[in-house]
Amino acid sequence: MAQAANSDQLLVARIRTGEPEAWNELIARFEGRLLAFVEGRLGRRSAGEDVVQETFLGFLNSLPNFEDSRPLESYLFSIAAHKLTDHLRREGRRPTLPLATNSSGGDWEPPAGGRAVSSIMRSGERKGLEEDALVQALSEQLERLRGKREFQKLECLELLFVRGWANRDVATQLSMSEQQVANFKFEFISRMRTLVRKQGLSEDVFPELTDRT
Amino acid sequence: MAHNFTQADLEAYLDEALPMELMAQVEGALRDDPKLAQQLMAINGRRDAGLHSLGEIWRRHRLTCPSREQLGSFLLEVLEKDELAHIRFHLEVSGCRTCQANLADLKTRRVEDRTIVDGRRKKYFQSSAGQLRRG
Repeated sequence: MAQAANSDQLLVARIRTGEPEAWNELIARFEGRLLAFVEGRLGRRSAGEDVVQETFLGFLNSLPNFEDSRPLESYLFSIAAHKLTDHLRREGRRPTLPLATNSSGGDWEPPAGGRAVSSIMRSGERKGLEEDALVQALSEQLERLRGKREFQKLECLELLFVRGWANRDVATQLSMSEQQVANFKFEFISRMRTLVRKQGLSEDVFPELTDRT
Repeated sequence: MAHNFTQADLEAYLDEALPMELMAQVEGALRDDPKLAQQLMAINGRRDAGLHSLGEIWRRHRLTCPSREQLGSFLLEVLEKDELAHIRFHLEVSGCRTCQANLADLKTRRVEDRTIVDGRRKKYFQSSAGQLRRG
């Protein structure tokens, strides 16, 4: 992964200097996967190609703001996801949500403490730092499991946190007992809490870490 | 109307990252269920307020996604059995759209007509090269 990231960074640096060959290379490297991503939802090749075309234009327009430390592939996929959403809205397939979330954050309430949402509104910069710290903590834990080839544990955690499945459903899917799932979850959350505290961050901004179910 | 989408599913829906069949189900349910729209707005509100979701961050940073090289090895079935099963789980059970797209691309590259691919790439290049800026 690190090698691919390096090669992507070099490619972006060449594109920043306006080198057409580099731009051609980026297109060749990524267009197929982006097309596969959008085509699956649109079902038509020509519409898919239009969305990919808009994605590449979107990338060039946002290039001055692109941080080189960010993985290029994820960035391109996130642009493609936005362009795809716009396309589906224009076609009337994707319902539009009312624009704004009001200042009190809709009907959402913080999980603990009953503080007003406005009191924990924080700058984007702060949020970015918290996210980076969480990524580091998560990566450490997941890397440790991968290193020990504990794939069932990894799968259990992925279903619990990325898909939000209930313990019972995870247990059925992975042929485990509910108690085992609950234990994995508890152990994982405890470690995460420790890592988050170590970094001097508040648990309040990570609601799942205060969930004890 | 009741639905069974998890909070994580709805977060992924907003990011166009939910497995395709579930994306269509959420879109369908949104037409009949105003409460679902409110739930989605509440998620946006929570994001605006600066709260984090572990799953969102995990997904966005692709913390359990195999690399492109690993997906290539998966396609050729040259990985250990447990690793093959783990990648299959990520693609089929977890339903990672980005990895599914990468895998589909790797499969297509083996068989797609070179002339078609070149024509498509030329079209992308010609429509965007004018936007390249000299640094």
